Amino acid sequence: MAAASPHDRMAAPEGAGGFLAWLMAPERRGPLLVAPAVIVLFVMNIFPLLWSFGLSFFNYRANRQDVPDFVGLRFYERVLSDPDVWDRFQTTAVIVGSSVVLQLVIGFLLALMFAREFPLRRILLMLVLAPMMLSFVSVGVFFKLYYEPTFGLLSQFVSTFTGEPFVLLGTPTGAIVGIVVADAWMWSPFVMLLVLAGLVSVPKYLYEAAEIDRASWWRRFRTITFPYIKSLLLLAVLFRTIETFKLFDIVYIITEGGPGTATETIAVFTYRVAFQFFRTSQSSALAYIILFVVIVLTNLYLYAVKRREQEVA
Amino acid sequence: MRTIRDSMVLGVSAAAVATALLAGGTARAADITITMAAPDWPPTRFMKEEFDRSYQSPDGHNTVLDIDFIPWPSFYERVAASLASGEQKYQMIVTDSQWLGAFVEGGYYMDLTDLMTADPELTAIMQDLHPALVSAYSTYPHKSKDFIADNPFPAPDTRYFGFPQFPDTYVTFYREDLFCHEGEAAAFQEKYGEALPCTYEDWQNVDWDTFRNVGEFFRRAKGEPLGDGVADDDFYGIAYQAGKGYDFSTMAINAFIWQHGGSIWDETKAPEAQAEGVVNSDVAVEALEHYLSLLQYMPPVAQTGQMDIFVIQDLYMQGKVAAIIDWVGLGEPVLDPSSSVVADKSAFGPAPGLRKEDGSIDRTGNIGGQPFVLTTWNSDEVTNEALNVVKWWLKPEVQKNFVAGGGQSGLVSVMADPEYNSLRPWNRAHVEMLDWQRDVWHVPDFFELLTQQQEEYDRAITGQIDAQTALDSIARFQQQLLEDAGLIQ
Repeated sequence: MAAASPHDRMAAPEGAGGFLAWLMAPERRGPLLVAPAVIVLFVMNIFPLLWSFGLSFFNYRANRQDVPDFVGLRFYERVLSDPDVWDRFQTTAVIVGSSVVLQLVIGFLLALMFAREFPLRRILLMLVLAPMMLSFVSVGVFFKLYYEPTFGLLSQFVSTFTGEPFVLLGTPTGAIVGIVVADAWMWSPFVMLLVLAGLVSVPKYLYEAAEIDRASWWRRFRTITFPYIKSLLLLAVLFRTIETFKLFDIVYIITEGGPGTATETIAVFTYRVAFQFFRTSQSSALAYIILFVVIVLTNLYLYAVKRREQEVA
Repeated sequence: MRTIRDSMVLGVSAAAVATALLAGGTARAADITITMAAPDWPPTRFMKEEFDRSYQSPDGHNTVLDIDFIPWPSFYERVAASLASGEQKYQMIVTDSQWLGAFVEGGYYMDLTDLMTADPELTAIMQDLHPALVSAYSTYPHKSKDFIADNPFPAPDTRYFGFPQFPDTYVTFYREDLFCHEGEAAAFQEKYGEALPCTYEDWQNVDWDTFRNVGEFFRRAKGEPLGDGVADDDFYGIAYQAGKGYDFSTMAINAFIWQHGGSIWDETKAPEAQAEGVVNSDVAVEALEHYLSLLQYMPPVAQTGQMDIFVIQDLYMQGKVAAIIDWVGLGEPVLDPSSSVVADKSAFGPAPGLRKEDGSIDRTGNIGGQPFVLTTWNSDEVTNEALNVVKWWLKPEVQKNFVAGGGQSGLVSVMADPEYNSLRPWNRAHVEMLDWQRDVWHVPDFFELLTQQQEEYDRAITGQIDAQTALDSIARFQQQLLEDAGLIQ
C-alpha cells in the first residue's frame, strides 16, 4: 500500500482535529472571522428584505390563511396611484423640510456659541447634547405632556398672558409645529456637533490674517468659515433628512398622526397598513418605494462624504 | 402440566394488562402550561392571582396559567403579530370582541360550539350569561343581542367562540362633594330650574341636556369658588371619550347614534345592509352634532382629539373634572388614595342618555370588556384543561371574588345576587347599563373601518370638518371597503 502524499492529507483530513486545522488555515481565517457577521446580516437584514420584496408581488395578508397569488406590479401601481400615499408623502416632506431647516439654524448657532471658550462651557455642552441621547419614546412622552393643554407647562405659561388654555395640537398647523419642535429639540445637538467639528478645524491664522485686513464678520464667515463647514453642513442636512424621513415614534406618541391625518407621516401610514390593516403585500410595496427614496438620499450622503474626504486630503 | 413458573408469568402478565387497561381508562396527570395573552390591567392581574391561589385541575393536572401581560396601547399589535407570525405561543387569548372576525377567519380562534353543546356545564354557563355578552363576545358571524335573547344557547345557525373574561360598561363617575353640596345645588337649581343630581336615583334621571348643564355649571377658572373651597386650577364640568387612538371616539359616538335612532353598518344583515344612506343618515348627523356640541364643556385636551379613556380618568383623579363617563374597569384606581385625590369623594351612577318623548331615557351604549378565547393549535388535552379554566373562572364563587376585587360578572345568576350591588360602588350602575349594550362590527375588516372612522371623527372633534362631511366620508369609505370585501352587494 502506497503512503499518502501531503496533498492527499490536506484534501481528506482525518477526524475533528484535522477538520479544525483545515478550517483554521491562514487563507480561511479571514472569511471565518467575518462569517458570524455575514450570517447575522443575512438572517436579520438580507433575507427579510428579499422575502418582503417577493411578497410585494403577491396578494398576501399576514392575518389570513389564504394561499398568496401572484399579482405582479399591482400593488406598486395601487400605492403610486393612492391619493392617501401622496398626501402622507406631502406631510412627511413638510415635516422633514421644516425640521431639518430648524435643526440647521439652531445647530449652527449652538456650534458658533460653543466654538468659543467661556465659563461652564463643558457642562453646558453636555446638557445641550443630552436630548439626542434620549430615547424617542421618552422625548415623545415628554412633549406630549409639555403640550397638554389642561396642565402642560406650555399651556400654563401661555395662559398667564392670555387667560385661556393654549391648545397647540388642536389644529393641523399647530400639530405639525409641535412635531417639528420636538424633533428639532432632539436632533439640533447632532447638527451642532458636526458643525463644531468643522469650526475647530479652521486654521486660526486665516482669521488673524482677516483681522489684519479688517474684514467684516460676514466676509470672514463667507470666505473662511463657510468653506470649511459647508460639506459638513451638507452631511448634516442629508443625514437628518434621511432620519426625519423615517420619523415614526415621536409622531405616533405626540399626535398619533392627528388631528385627522394632518401629521401622519409615510412611516406611520406604512405601519398602519402593515400591522393594523394587515395589507402585507401593499405595505411591502410601499416600504420598497420608501426604501428607494432613502437609497437615493443615502447616495447623495455618500457623495457628500467623499467630497469631504477629498477636501480634507 | 403447568409449572409454578408458568403460573407466575401468567399472573404477572394478567396484572400488567389489567393495569394498562385501567390506566387507559382514566386521565393521566400531566404538567400543562396555558399561556394566555392579556392586557395588563387589574381584571387580568386579579385572574392570575386568583388562579394561583385557588385553581385545582378537576383532571388532576398540574396546570400553570402563564399570562403574558401586554400594555393596552400595543395589545392588538402584539397579539396580531404573534398570531400572524405562526409562533403559536398562546393557548388562550383575552381578546377585544371586534377582533373575532379577523382572527376566526384567520384560523386562529377555536370554534367552541360543539364543545359547549356537548358539555352540560358549559351549556349551563352559556345559558346563564347575559344576552348582550353572548352576542358581543361569543358569536361570529355576529348575532344581535335581541336574536340571542330570543334564541337561548344553542341558537340556530350560530357559532360560538368566547366566554366573558371581564364584561365592562361605561358609567358616570362623579364628585359627591360637589354634586351633593348645598350651595352648589341651590345655585344649579336657580340657574337651570332643575335639581343637581346627587344620589344614584338622581343620576337615573340625568339626560344629555342635564349633563350639558352640569358641564357648563362646573366650569370654574382658577381661584373661583368650588364646593367648600376654591378651584386651585382651571376646573371643568364633564368629560367623555374623544380620542383618535384605537376606538375611543367611536365608543362614545355610537351611543349617541343609537340613542338618536340611527345605525352603524349592520353586519347582521349583510350583504343586504348598506353603509351609504345609513351611516350618514340625517339622524346620524344629528347625533354626531349632539356629541360634538358637548365638547366645549370639557377640558381643552378634547380639542386635540386626544381625550381618551385614560386621559379622562387621570383628569378626574387629579380633581380637574366634576363628572366623567368612563369604563367600570377603570374605576378601581379612582378609589385608591395613593393615585386619586378624589378617592373619598367619588360616587357612581348610570351614564346619561337621550330623553324620549314619553319621558324615558335611552342609554344605549357600546359594550366594553373582553372575552377570552382558545386557539386552534391546542391539543385535546390542553383544550380540555383550558375549558376547565373557563369553568373555574365562571364559577359563582370565583366570580363574586372577582367582583369584590373590582371586576364584573357576566352571569345573570351572579348579578341577581342581592349582595352583588354592594360589593363595589359602581355595580348597580353596571348592572343597569348592561341591558343597554350593543357592539360595533366584528368583521375581518374592522380595523380599517375603525381607523378611517376615527380619523374622520377626529377631524370633526378638532373642528376641521362638520358632522355631515365626516359621516359622508365614513359612509363612502365603508361602502367601498365592504363592497370590495363582499360584505355589501
